[in-house]
Amino acid sequence: MKNVKEIVMKYVFMVSAAASILAVFLICVFLFANGVPAMREVGFLDFLFGTKWAPSNVPASFSIFPMIVGSIYVTAGAIIVGVPIGILTAVFMARFCPKGIYKFLKPAVDLLAGIPSIIYGFFGLVVIVPVVRMVFERFDTNGKSILTASILLGIMILPTIIGVSESAIRAVPNSYYEGALALGATHERAVFFTVLPAAKSGILAGVVLGIGRAIGETMAVIMVAGNQPRMPVSIFKGVRTLTANIVIEMGYATGLHREVLIATGVVLFVFILIINLSFSALKRRMKA
Amino acid sequence: MTSELTANTKNEPEVLQKRKRRGKKKVRPLSMMLRLLVWISAAITFAVLIFLVAYILVRGVPYLSPSLFEWTYNSENVSMLPSIINTLLMTVIALAVAIPFGIFTAIFLVEYAKKGNKFVTIVRLTSETLSGIPSIVYGLFGMLFFVTYLNWGYSLLAGAATLSIMVLPLIMRTTEEALLAVPDSYREASFGLGAGKLRTVFKIVLPSAIPGILSGIILAIGRIVGETAALIYTAGTMATLPENVFSSTRTLSVHMYILSGEGLNINESYATAVVLLLLVLLINWLSGVAAKKLTSSGLRDQQ
Amino acid sequence: MKKLLSTILVCGLLAASLAGCGSNDEGTTTQGSTGTTAATEDGSTEGTTEGTTEAASDFDTSRSISVISREDGSGTRGAFIELMGIEVKGEDGSSTDMTTVEADIASRTDVMLTSVAGDPYAIGYVSMGSLNETVKAVAAVAIDGVEATTDNIINGTYAVSRPFNIATNGEPTGLVKDFIDFILSAEGQAIVAEDYIAVDSEAPAYAGEAIEGTISVGGSSSVSPVMEQLIEAYQAVNPNATIELQTTDSTSGMTGVAEGTLDIGMASRALKDTEAETLNGIQIALDGIAVIVNTENPIDNLTSEQVRQIYVGEVTSWADVQ
Repeated sequence: MKNVKEIVMKYVFMVSAAASILAVFLICVFLFANGVPAMREVGFLDFLFGTKWAPSNVPASFSIFPMIVGSIYVTAGAIIVGVPIGILTAVFMARFCPKGIYKFLKPAVDLLAGIPSIIYGFFGLVVIVPVVRMVFERFDTNGKSILTASILLGIMILPTIIGVSESAIRAVPNSYYEGALALGATHERAVFFTVLPAAKSGILAGVVLGIGRAIGETMAVIMVAGNQPRMPVSIFKGVRTLTANIVIEMGYATGLHREVLIATGVVLFVFILIINLSFSALKRRMKA
Repeated sequence: MTSELTANTKNEPEVLQKRKRRGKKKVRPLSMMLRLLVWISAAITFAVLIFLVAYILVRGVPYLSPSLFEWTYNSENVSMLPSIINTLLMTVIALAVAIPFGIFTAIFLVEYAKKGNKFVTIVRLTSETLSGIPSIVYGLFGMLFFVTYLNWGYSLLAGAATLSIMVLPLIMRTTEEALLAVPDSYREASFGLGAGKLRTVFKIVLPSAIPGILSGIILAIGRIVGETAALIYTAGTMATLPENVFSSTRTLSVHMYILSGEGLNINESYATAVVLLLLVLLINWLSGVAAKKLTSSGLRDQQ
Repeated sequence: MKKLLSTILVCGLLAASLAGCGSNDEGTTTQGSTGTTAATEDGSTEGTTEGTTEAASDFDTSRSISVISREDGSGTRGAFIELMGIEVKGEDGSSTDMTTVEADIASRTDVMLTSVAGDPYAIGYVSMGSLNETVKAVAAVAIDGVEATTDNIINGTYAVSRPFNIATNGEPTGLVKDFIDFILSAEGQAIVAEDYIAVDSEAPAYAGEAIEGTISVGGSSSVSPVMEQLIEAYQAVNPNATIELQTTDSTSGMTGVAEGTLDIGMASRALKDTEAETLNGIQIALDGIAVIVNTENPIDNLTSEQVRQIYVGEVTSWADVQ
């Protein structure tokens, strides 16, 4: 009797584990079934590498290359802004922070993670946009630009990177650190040249999660990025990301336009797949 | 790396203390620079946070009025109370689906699956994929599958189902980590005393992993509370209390999004943001308290 | 190996320090700037209407215009480009939206308003119903010398307007019909006229019977605020009815009706031909579209030709706008 229970539960666990496979499968099926026919109708090459997006023209043109490039630019910008600050803050919290301060900092980072993106969006629109406009006035920017979006996204990915990196740094055995000290390294050197390299796989995971969040961020980006559907021209000019393209036009789209927007979602999905697959490949190589 | 220094986790390791006592004060530019960088980065992070919070409070608090918390919503009072209740309902339903699946999957991966199993690799990969999918893509999927294909319409259920898939990897991963952190000696002791595998998992391993699992659940709650993009396409935007799971609802974040949308109630939407912020703070605080309580009681059980 | 690693790290840190300093500067300037925005907002509360001409002192006309448009397919944009001649129709039935690609796209009305309020050199357009006293630092400009007011739209001098439509699947019956009767009655149209323009100023009084039941209404977020008030007023006269309101967008409103998930759909634009085939559309209101600029901008009148030139990108500097 007891044995039966054991076996049944084993299969219950196994079926649960299959749930995530099922979910990914369903997502693939439904997105591709709705998006791929539209891509075919527009023409794959035209859809992916054309540069004109004018859905309400007759005849309409649906090419999302500007948005693909836009997403890449904004994400890269967010990494440049967010990753160094995030990792250094994680180092601070794990190795430099006095205990008394840590009690306040930890919940503060959690709070940063919990603030809904739409609030970040308003914050960006009312605070960062005017600042960028004033500081970079001579570049003739109106404030809504790749730069602004990068700064805002950089801030938004901070908690993800800090959280994951901090636990990765803490997971490094203390003997590494003390070994370095014993060999005469200062506290800083010990942390940066012994502990940090040992935690690199965990930190990388945090960065990848951050990249995922930056690419996928929607509500905040549409408020500060300008959303012009053309090839990005300078970091002081606006840009439209893939996510923005979906959210902005989904509401009004019908027929082919709507399907093309779902196809945009497919492209976004494939992007994430590529990032995740290359990350796990990288991880495997690092282990080897 | 084999040096077996005893793990002295005091703030100031002896070596450093000794060095300080010796009063060796060499100028080390690299170390100074590194230290400076770390402090600056931390300062930036927290300056941003403080500024963000202050901004929300300044814009929102003056507009917090009792009429925002009236029982029923109408266009005059734009009450957020129904949305708060909807948020709770949404969270409960989404978690009710996601928690069992997440924990069971983690148990399977850690306790049952053999290492290097193909199935395990696929599960890991899919869960990583799930955690990377942008919420807008979840929204599109939820709209295509739950709303249209299963014909649930814009509903509490469709929204909760979409969200539960979204938070599944979060719960799964944190639970997995927590289970892995439980020392094998616990399991061995349990087996040694004659307990079966199932009993060991539920009575020994799971209880000692609870703080980790809880932190995953809290993260999930945070994500659900803050979600907008995935919900507007799945749960709709009804501002009243739902009659059943097939009624459309509006969570607090969506409420804020809609309120400000036409430029008519921008002040009230900032007031909503304040409440949202408080809610997030409350959740974080509760999680801290709960984790502490559960850890201590969990330890007592094992002794 | 170790040396290589450390060199890379140091390089990274240098980059980080640069980025760090940059952001730090921003952090401090930011605080100053909110101070100033708060100040301008306070200043403009005193003279909301006169604000347009007052604060012209530090307005630099050589700056380029930040053109802000709405997203493609939005009802507001559709009406705007058509009426301003920004949409060029070919003889073969083709039509091209000439809006300059440099235009910022604001996805929602609040983003449009906040953007214009925060940028002295911006120009945008919004539904007149959204232009109320809560939004400071934004002023509507007159088009061809005609102020954007309800009266001017009714007498036909201000041409930039669009319809608010509702649609049903087939002829309305029962509660749906009764509710639509109410919207088109004197009481309903009076509510519409508070923020928008009634379609029928001499509508008969509502004389419906209190039919019991539940119906759902959904669609355009632009129509939603007025629909919400209509529903509340209707439920006051007919407490037996329950009407659910879904705020999404015009298209999902229309598809919702066609698929049967909604009883009444709302659209802030004319029904598309494909929709008009299956649905029964009824116009319930008229909404003006106001062209807006920041209150620091001294300009308070533009010709429709100037608006067109600005939006297609032929004119890019405020100095060229007389």
